[in-house]
Amino acid sequence: MDPMDLCINTQTPLLQFSTVIPENGQTRYWPDSVDLSELKEGADYRFSPGGVTRMVFPLVKWLHHHGRVHAAHWVALNPNGPPVVRLPGLTLHNLRLPSDKMPAYGRTKEAIWSAAHGTGPGAAEDLFWSEEFSEYAFYNRRTAEYLRRLDQREDFDVFYIHDFQQLQVGQMLDTLKPKIFRWHIPFEADAIPAEWRPVLSGALASYDVVVVSSDRYRDALRSFGHAGRIVRLYPYVDPAEYGRPGPTEIEGVCQQFGIRPEEVVILTVARMDPMKGLDRALRAFARIAPEFPTARLVLVGNGSFSSSAGGVGLSKGAQYRADLEQLALTLGISDRVTFTGHVRQSELDALYERCRFTVLPSVREGFGLVVVESWLHDRPVIVSRNAGVAELVRDGENGLLVDPDDLGAMAGALRRLLERSSPRRGFTRAARDSAEVCSLETAMHGEMAMLDGLVEI
Amino acid sequence: MFVLPPALTPFLYAAIILGLTWLVARVGAFLVGELMQQSSPQVALGARRLVAVVIWLMGGILAIQEIGLSVEVLLLVVALCGIAALIALREQLENLGAKYFSDVYSPFKLGDQIRIREHEGRVIEINAMTTVLLTADDRLVSLPNSMFMREPMVNESPQAWKELTVPFSVPGSVDLAEFESELRKRLGKLRMRLDRRFPPVVTTRSRSPQVAELAVTVMIRRAEDRESLLTEVHRRIAEALQTAPSPPRSAPATSPLEAPRVPPAPSSEGPPV
Repeated sequence: MDPMDLCINTQTPLLQFSTVIPENGQTRYWPDSVDLSELKEGADYRFSPGGVTRMVFPLVKWLHHHGRVHAAHWVALNPNGPPVVRLPGLTLHNLRLPSDKMPAYGRTKEAIWSAAHGTGPGAAEDLFWSEEFSEYAFYNRRTAEYLRRLDQREDFDVFYIHDFQQLQVGQMLDTLKPKIFRWHIPFEADAIPAEWRPVLSGALASYDVVVVSSDRYRDALRSFGHAGRIVRLYPYVDPAEYGRPGPTEIEGVCQQFGIRPEEVVILTVARMDPMKGLDRALRAFARIAPEFPTARLVLVGNGSFSSSAGGVGLSKGAQYRADLEQLALTLGISDRVTFTGHVRQSELDALYERCRFTVLPSVREGFGLVVVESWLHDRPVIVSRNAGVAELVRDGENGLLVDPDDLGAMAGALRRLLERSSPRRGFTRAARDSAEVCSLETAMHGEMAMLDGLVEI
Repeated sequence: MFVLPPALTPFLYAAIILGLTWLVARVGAFLVGELMQQSSPQVALGARRLVAVVIWLMGGILAIQEIGLSVEVLLLVVALCGIAALIALREQLENLGAKYFSDVYSPFKLGDQIRIREHEGRVIEINAMTTVLLTADDRLVSLPNSMFMREPMVNESPQAWKELTVPFSVPGSVDLAEFESELRKRLGKLRMRLDRRFPPVVTTRSRSPQVAELAVTVMIRRAEDRESLLTEVHRRIAEALQTAPSPPRSAPATSPLEAPRVPPAPSSEGPPV
């Protein structure tokens, strides 16, 4: 089997680069090409949070480690940072948009995202005929043109294009090479406006395979009328990336965030976005807080790449966090709630180890890899029924399923796990088995079957 | 003072005539382009080329006369060759002409189900000479393009009347992303006459370093608007082409992996995509 040449395309870049020089605080101007080994994580760059990058990077590393890829190139939007970054077996290409086009692009893709989550305006003419949509098309065309030129040089075997921001790339990329599109956000037939059908159908039909994250989305996409090949692949993580910090490290992180030893920690890990339903977690927590005076709700995460100043520059992350902080004040639980913002992986591991259980209260959720992370740390989870991962949760066995709009049920689930002196009893085995379904090794069988079927390597 | 030998004087005049011819041809082609702004870009391109060729022909004849050669025999040979070519290549020229007109406006496209004479099938190829159909019993039928100029053709694809596909060429120097963005904005002004569920789709038919063959497809709302919308779409393509800039000159645009090693200039935008 010959190793393949793979081209990956995402909006969110694998790495986000600092825009200032740490030593003097001056604006940083990157050279056109850098080797990542010359840079220092934390000072020069950090890994982008979020499921897409968290999943794609292990895929590339696995393919490289197993000799299945000859060269991999990853093209992403990244307004800051060097145009080209080289890693072993992987070249990152950071694309930039003219600054005057970025806001319109950001608003358009946000509108698409909102509509797909059932909260957008929905009228096709409001969106697809707007001048702002032209900038979304501009971004997709620029990306497609870049991929085409890169392909002329690299002669890729397959294009693996991720998420709705890149939806039009398939139509715009005139190539006979196989194109895979991974749909990461929810695909709910009842949420997506019916009049979007022609646009979505046309875009999705330009791909050889559409990958979705759950059986439910696969069925919804089929009933939507997509006649092409659909593959369901559960998102995955590499368990080796998740450490088990010792007591000293856990204690250090707790001190950092003001978590006292006697407190029982309930953890949420999510970007600051209304769709994550963190307000519901706060409201449910407020209901049971008087019963459990040592309970503390810890919310990990900040805005996404889109929300960051170094990314697309939308401000919804900061606004939503401010709203949540105000809500905690209103509910009288502000002294029982901790907002950590973005944390490093080692800190996140410590918080997982420190918590008693985690909550994923999302209104809608493409999948919910944080549930898998909880399972990897042997922690019980309360999971929204609307999350893609919900179909892997066996209620009462490896987690508790709740309706995110039913605050009574969510409060009841919190109470149930707080009352149990040892909530992990009988749970660990089931959680580990479930995590295995979403492990890198398991998922690679599906990924390779799909890639092999397309490129016949 | 340098004095040109008399024997070379005619050549100097001929060179001047050719230089003027070049200038007049450029101006002529430009003026024709301006006058035909509202026509199909393909037709305008053809007209510009025709004007340029005619001017060059005239300039060439004048230059040849200037150096003392007889043009009568040359013209006779050219005319006879032209007539011979027309007779010998009549069918091929008919097909090419038909293809040219189908490029200006396609009554069908790849993938459409069409019927012409006793032939029926799905269009799987449209080349310079023929259009190839795949029939229901898996056979290929190759039809000369000229046939589509002479015979009634029925496009049996569902709602084919709604679909307006306009092929056009864009010089390789044009920034496609800027052009498409501009075209979408201009076509958006026509949305009252279009089916709004279907925003414009720009597809690439073929590509070379010099030119990109594209097509834009919109869905019309009322059949009776078809002809006027066709004119409008042509006009807006031409307008968008006039305003579209060239691709950014930074390294990634032309050669993604050959980024220059010079320190980048401070800029809020940095190198674009």
